[in-house]
Amino acid sequence: MKLSGSAKMLRIHFGEDAKWKDKPLYRAIVEKCRELDIAGATVFRGIEGYGASTLIHRSHLLSFSSDAPIMVSVIDSEGKVEKLIPYLDEMVDQGLIAMSEVEVIKYVHQGGTHVL
Amino acid sequence: MLKAGPAKKVSIYVGEDHQYHGHSLYAAILDFLFYRGISGANVVRGVAGFGADHHMHTMRIERLTENLPMKIEFVESPEKVEELLPKLYEMAGTGMIEIQDTTVVKPSEVSKKRAPQPTTPPLRREGKAKLMRIFIGENDKWNDKPLHRALVESMRANDIAGVTVYQGILGYGANRRIHKEGTLHLSHDRPIMLSVVDNEEKLRAFSPILDAMVQQGLVVLSDVDIIKYTHNYQEEERRKEAQP
Repeated sequence: MKLSGSAKMLRIHFGEDAKWKDKPLYRAIVEKCRELDIAGATVFRGIEGYGASTLIHRSHLLSFSSDAPIMVSVIDSEGKVEKLIPYLDEMVDQGLIAMSEVEVIKYVHQGGTHVL
Repeated sequence: MLKAGPAKKVSIYVGEDHQYHGHSLYAAILDFLFYRGISGANVVRGVAGFGADHHMHTMRIERLTENLPMKIEFVESPEKVEELLPKLYEMAGTGMIEIQDTTVVKPSEVSKKRAPQPTTPPLRREGKAKLMRIFIGENDKWNDKPLHRALVESMRANDIAGVTVYQGILGYGANRRIHKEGTLHLSHDRPIMLSVVDNEEKLRAFSPILDAMVQQGLVVLSDVDIIKYTHNYQEEERRKEAQP
């Protein structure tokens, strides 16, 4: 896989509780990215936040239930990212999707053992 | 700041358990007053009471959780009260709001000790800069130490303005391998992102070092506007003095 020069970064914000077909939405998005051969995706869990619903998202101390804010960051060429957007549109029913310009400085891996 | 003279005293009565957007209501009201610049407010918890629903709220021992009455009180100028009232009305929900005319005889003063002192002008930069994001794995090593730590140390040594390390919970990258947290957080192969901000020349100058350190991963650059980058030198001096 090659990625260089100017690219797009998508950031998708939603709550950890969000589901897609009974699985966590963030996992579903990462799987969809892999399916579409997107260069990479990373999921981050925030500590606190609020969004369109103005409901405070916060991970609850001493409890396993949690609705922390989640941010998925996806980087690839404009064409690839645009292919992903219709799926995201369908999957994310509450949240925010933002796109920005990035310049790829480096995208490398050590070939061999881990390549699937 | 509140001055001596006629003013309004506002009391808002709510229940301790009342919620406002997933947050305790009295705390939300107090926050609202705080960030809207009210000179002072108090929350008082009642030991017993009842309201419009004629349900007796008490602090009886056999019931540990009880929706005790809470009273939020503040004194402000009539104009300020007028300005805040619509939002308070919305927030209070089923609770009651009462306003009394009052007279401020002596306004409270900011204690001398905590009054803001003139500080030496802090380092401040504004304008265009670059944000560099480095995506690596938690397991990545550099000279036997975690790569993300090595990168931070190396940036500090190279006078890069600032860096923050974020830990992801799930992800994959160039090698198609899924990085995720294991059960009970025992496995440590989570995705790591470092976000670095400085001007373009500094980041370009750091590139060769970065190149040598990052064996696998993704590095991207984007434009950012610096809104604020300050540092309180006085605070640092004080901290240094406190250290033996």
